[in-house]
Amino acid sequence: MTRPGLVLEVDDRTPPLLVHEGNGFRLEEFPRGTRVLYPPESLPAVPDVEAAITRALLEPIDSEPLPQLLFPGMRLTIAFDDISLALPQMAAPDIRQRIIEQVLTMAARAGVNDVELVAANALHRRMTAQELRTMLGERVFRSFYPQGKLTNHDAEDPAGMAHIGMTDHGEHVEINRRAAESDLLVYVNVNLVAMDGGHKSVPIGLTSYKSLKHHHNSHTMMRSRSFMDHKASAMHHSAWRMGRVLKDHLKIFQIETTLNNDCFPSTYAFLQKREWEWSIRDQASMLAARRGLSVAPASLKHRIFQGIRAPYGLTGVAAGEVEAVHDATLARVHRQQLVEVDGQSDVMVLGVPFIGPYNVNSTMNPILAACMGLGYYFNSYRGKPVVRQGGAVILYHPVEPAFNQLHHPSYVDFYDEVLSVSTDPAVIEAKFEEQYATDPWYVHLYRTSHAYHGVHPFYMWYWISHALDHCGDIVWVGGDRRAVERMGFRSASTLQDALAMVQGSVGASPSITYLHNPPHLIADVR
Amino acid sequence: MSVLRLRASRGSVAPTGARGVSLVRAAREARTDLRLVARGWRWGRRPLVPASAVSSTVVTPRPPFPTAWARTPAVSAVRDVIQAAGLVPLMRRELTTKVGGLDVLTRLRELGDGPVVFVANHASHLDTALVLTSLPHAWRRRTAVAAAADYFFDTWWRATGSALVFGTFPIERRSGTLSSTPQELLDDGWNIVIYPEGTRSPDGWTQRFRLGAAFLAVSSGVPVVPVAIRGSFAAMPRGRSWPLRGRPAVTVRFGEPLWPQDGEGVRELGPRIEAAVARLHDEDATDWYAAALRAATGTTPSTAAPAPPATARSAADDGPPTSTAVAAADEPLSTWRRVWERTESPDVRRPRRVWRV
Amino acid sequence: MRALEIYRSAPRYVAARAAGGRMPGLLVGAMAPVRLVTRERPAPSGRGWAAARPRLSGICGSDLGVVTGSTSLYFSALSSMPFVPGHEVVAELLEDCEDLPRGTRVVVDPVLPCAARGLAEDGDPCVPCTAGTPNLCDRVTVGHLSPGLQTGFCRDTGGGWGEQLSVHRSQLHPVPDDLPDERAVLVEPLACAVHLARRAEVAPGDAVLVSGAGAVGLFAVLALRELTAAGSITVVAKHERQVALARAFGATDVVRPSAALGGVRRTTRAMKVSPSGPGAASGGLPEVLARTGAGRSAGAAEFLLGGVDVAVDCVGSTGSLDLALRATRAGGRVVLSGMPAPGADLSPVWFRELTLAGTYASRGDAFAVALRLAASAPLDGLVGGRYPLHRWREALDHAHSAGRLGTVKVCFDARDRS
Repeated sequence: MTRPGLVLEVDDRTPPLLVHEGNGFRLEEFPRGTRVLYPPESLPAVPDVEAAITRALLEPIDSEPLPQLLFPGMRLTIAFDDISLALPQMAAPDIRQRIIEQVLTMAARAGVNDVELVAANALHRRMTAQELRTMLGERVFRSFYPQGKLTNHDAEDPAGMAHIGMTDHGEHVEINRRAAESDLLVYVNVNLVAMDGGHKSVPIGLTSYKSLKHHHNSHTMMRSRSFMDHKASAMHHSAWRMGRVLKDHLKIFQIETTLNNDCFPSTYAFLQKREWEWSIRDQASMLAARRGLSVAPASLKHRIFQGIRAPYGLTGVAAGEVEAVHDATLARVHRQQLVEVDGQSDVMVLGVPFIGPYNVNSTMNPILAACMGLGYYFNSYRGKPVVRQGGAVILYHPVEPAFNQLHHPSYVDFYDEVLSVSTDPAVIEAKFEEQYATDPWYVHLYRTSHAYHGVHPFYMWYWISHALDHCGDIVWVGGDRRAVERMGFRSASTLQDALAMVQGSVGASPSITYLHNPPHLIADVR
Repeated sequence: MSVLRLRASRGSVAPTGARGVSLVRAAREARTDLRLVARGWRWGRRPLVPASAVSSTVVTPRPPFPTAWARTPAVSAVRDVIQAAGLVPLMRRELTTKVGGLDVLTRLRELGDGPVVFVANHASHLDTALVLTSLPHAWRRRTAVAAAADYFFDTWWRATGSALVFGTFPIERRSGTLSSTPQELLDDGWNIVIYPEGTRSPDGWTQRFRLGAAFLAVSSGVPVVPVAIRGSFAAMPRGRSWPLRGRPAVTVRFGEPLWPQDGEGVRELGPRIEAAVARLHDEDATDWYAAALRAATGTTPSTAAPAPPATARSAADDGPPTSTAVAAADEPLSTWRRVWERTESPDVRRPRRVWRV
Repeated sequence: MRALEIYRSAPRYVAARAAGGRMPGLLVGAMAPVRLVTRERPAPSGRGWAAARPRLSGICGSDLGVVTGSTSLYFSALSSMPFVPGHEVVAELLEDCEDLPRGTRVVVDPVLPCAARGLAEDGDPCVPCTAGTPNLCDRVTVGHLSPGLQTGFCRDTGGGWGEQLSVHRSQLHPVPDDLPDERAVLVEPLACAVHLARRAEVAPGDAVLVSGAGAVGLFAVLALRELTAAGSITVVAKHERQVALARAFGATDVVRPSAALGGVRRTTRAMKVSPSGPGAASGGLPEVLARTGAGRSAGAAEFLLGGVDVAVDCVGSTGSLDLALRATRAGGRVVLSGMPAPGADLSPVWFRELTLAGTYASRGDAFAVALRLAASAPLDGLVGGRYPLHRWREALDHAHSAGRLGTVKVCFDARDRS
């Protein structure tokens, strides 16, 4: 029996609680009365994954079975979510591999020769060959990669993009040309959180800056309440409009998968458990891990945490028409991640963990840490934010101003140049976005190296605009003081200090809610 | 040696460089963490669940504490030494022990070397030590003691200690069903000591026997050796952790083995065992034949409560009846009087006292 | 008179050279080739010379270079030991000097060309002096003065770090009464900056990089803004106060040294190239090499294709010059303002056809412009330390870490005997 999510109220019997902070974690003794949100326990995984996939492909929702859509001489493109999902990375075999292998098996049986695979990385960095091989498996990789038929999406290739049309709101719809000109586009998704999937897959994953800027801007992001609820997210509304334009031009067969909450392998079992249920063994391994991490050099810590592979179980797979599939997907995601919360609180506490969508095999720089905490975790709600308007958010992260030069070259400049001028998303957008988006060097690195697009750090900053607008105070605990100040926040060395600092906006005895995340959760605030 | 130590201390303690400082800091952090965890998770005490999480927390029964290690030859040898060199002298120093009926064991061995179940009344923590130290060495080293899982196996240190010194194994007394361990032990040829009362008597009088011992005997076809222990309540009742001063007297008497008869069920054997222990008490207090006579006429004195005053007056002619005793003849005996009677040690030094007086 | 003098001491020179830059404690300790002495008042023969009393005299980077022995031996032929340093001087005349009456406050253009050496009236001035570029005079080692490229490097003239010096009329620029000493003492470096701005030949709208935000760099920014129509001026600054001052003086971007190349790249939208190729930025051999001086001179550091039109090196270190060379567009101009250190990789000069331009001291109306700037620019508080001569160790130590201490200019006040 899977236990549902829990809202714990910290009392005298509550042990210290674990808080993630980058490549490490700490134990924190929260004030009495603090509410702590725990996600539901992992749902039971589908016992026979292969059979479940087969069934989804043969009995799709609102669509013909996949084999009927395949015919000799057709152009088939398979797009798939890139390495920004799942987090942490999924232990092999990746669910995308298992699905794509079945799709390809059916395509081979139908005699389809012209097949291409494209990673839907939008303006994310290109995946390396090794990453593609790990994600899709040796068979798929060897059959397509050497022939150049397994590629990363290139949004800056003028010949590689096709303009499909305009939405009724005047938004350009532009996607990958190969995908646009295929007889069938199969999209394989990993719906880790409620934000993913649906029309966010093709119209965002395979698009360009030109199309993205209609919804990836400070204005739209501010009005997305929240990203985890596509019916209340202005960004998703735009994507949905684009998706509906696309639908008239292109046959899309959407395959969506949902995972349970098994984020951590057994070595780190304690990260997955509620603290008062920790066995002696859990306590010992936690202590050992803390000691080890305190003496380990940064590079080793990085390797350890980036090396975590999550033993996710599949909770379901659905295929067919995009919107119908997505409804089924969302229901499963919600069952796994929703925690009912009674009312907002004055202060919200978040631990920013070691990994986010944009630092897989990379470094979580200050901008990504801010985005992870204030963009993703803050927005991980349905209804209204966990913290009240004008309340305070307290985050834990070391916020080291360290950047991966290979993956995040534009972040370095964004941090040095843009943030030192302004931290207001709207100002930044007006003054700098265009420059960065069209900077030839960033474009070059995005296309040929493994760099995020020049405009990507701006999107990170837009992600947090709702939080910046909503919160009175944002304080980081244990962060690099200069980096925190550069981003326009304040820093404290302990939770007590942070609470003292936010007294001005929330009073001396505020109500506090701590999101015990990961494993992933969505606060359903009533 | 001193040079070595000097070097070592200079290397690790003196914060000559960043490394020394970081070592000191690492040690300090480790201590802080350890304290935090020890306090937060209440090391050495009961784990607690936050009030708001009680309803959602599933208390998983803990697996029985493993005790097989305590019965390995090596640990048995260690236990032998502990018992022979520690327990036996200790008991001799603190108590005046009289052991009776050991010949039944000799005779049992003539029938074969199968295991037996010792069934004793239970009034004190001394009982286990008494039974074990009373047994001949050959028996003792193959005897395990059933101990309450919820008390003796509650914490690892108590569990380890009692398993090591007394060869205890956990037995679940709450649910009433025995775990499978005693059965396996009998199959392996180990004798078992069971206290069918399930717990120490609060007042020294025997409580109702449960049927676990009988069940074991029936299902394994092994004999039950009744054991009567007198005086342990007087020597070290509940609440004391050391015997009274002055070497109080205790007696341990082994009785004739009871074999489960053909077709005899647990419900028949159980009362037989209870009766045998009561008869053994009588025998220990008087003599074998008198006890046998009383057993035959069904007038064995109850071990569950003192006889009513009237009977007591005619049976035992020590002292005149008091007026209060007469007045209370038809009411149940008050607790203090039950306890009072049982806090008197058995009279094992009578000849000497006669000589003295 | 009392004065600080720099004298010849081989062991001290070697020691200072070995450790001076890294261990300022040594430099202001026993090993500095500096001493406070009582020496003869300077009295050069020849016409036009007059005695003057320094009111304030700045400590320049080149002075520190001499003290720490980091100056190239090239200059040893251009100075005469023992000399009294100090060439950023505001002084008052102790006697009439041709048309200037006694008591006039003057700033000194320290170069000692033919005119000061009595070679002009002999009718045989050198070619540069004839051409109106006395700062490039070829006769700085001859004439009736000991060798010395400037006042403050010449045995016979004395210098600002003493109680008295001799000045030649050709060197003097009277200071308006309303210009306080603390601004006037900055006139000489400002004049150099004015000259620098002219030598930089900045076209309207050009992107300029100024590497270094000490006094030289800051004044360069000021002069560039004032005298040219430069588009963006990117300044590389290490310290907090330098950042603020650079902005106040007209910089469009201020970047840290570590982020300098990236900052220039951003403003100029250039392409950045790393010798290991963009795909191997993590831990490849060139990456490791680039962190070492040897690796840098072997060409292992990143550089730009494209970049600023004009780069100005105002530090004189190898790293700073390297940055200037690597951040300048093809055909661009690199101006050397600091005394350059050896070791920079000149590949970009060849491959990008860069023009290297030196700028030494000043000439023409630079002092007039500088006097105007000194009156109008936001220069208050730039003199962050005034020391009497006998506290020279403190003064040099302060000057040596001026940037870190938030100071732009440290001065000696020889009148102060407290």
